[in-house]
Amino acid sequence: MGRSLKKGPFVEPYLLEKIDKMNNSGVKKPVKTWSRRSMVTPDFVGHTFMVHNGKTFTSVFVTENMVGHKLGEFSPTRIFKKHGSHTAKVTK
Amino acid sequence: MPRLLGVEIPAEKRIEASLTYIFGIGSSASKRILDQTRIDPNLRAKDLTPQQINDIIHAITGNKMLIEGDLRRELQGNLKRLQAINCYRGIRHRRGLPVRGQRTSTNARTRKGPRKTVGVIRNKDAKAGKV
Repeated sequence: MGRSLKKGPFVEPYLLEKIDKMNNSGVKKPVKTWSRRSMVTPDFVGHTFMVHNGKTFTSVFVTENMVGHKLGEFSPTRIFKKHGSHTAKVTK
Repeated sequence: MPRLLGVEIPAEKRIEASLTYIFGIGSSASKRILDQTRIDPNLRAKDLTPQQINDIIHAITGNKMLIEGDLRRELQGNLKRLQAINCYRGIRHRRGLPVRGQRTSTNARTRKGPRKTVGVIRNKDAKAGKV
């Protein structure tokens, strides 16, 4: 079920603050974050996020098309294993 | 056979039914159009007067309804966007798996297609005792 429009989009406050600061000073640094639940706002465009997937951080470069999605959607938490891909021959 | 908006050729059915042959018009949209234009839904498509056909066309274009090619293009665009931004839904579309969190251990045959049995791929080195 979607989120009530009345509340508006959810973005982790500290993320917004960080992006705001970077937008004002003009520096662009990858932002490490665990907040997969945060919505991508228009301010995020052009920034790179390192989104945690439970194990490592996936680098996500935000483009205009991504606005409205959640950060977690770009950092898959499951690995797709094909048959035979994890046999000794391949993993070696 | 009357032609509506280019290629649409509904047959010898009631217009209520034959309008639904247009991609983008289902039974409810068809009823709405006929209601708006005050055409009897039980009329056969072949019995429509040119004036009535005109009315229907106006109702469709006037309501800014997306139809046929335009609708298909929009759907395709949505798909492409999801795949281009590499989000979860896009990835599921690319893999041909269910997109909305359904189980895939069993079922999901609509997305996955006919069952394909995958045999065991044996490790070549296993028998030789190299591992």
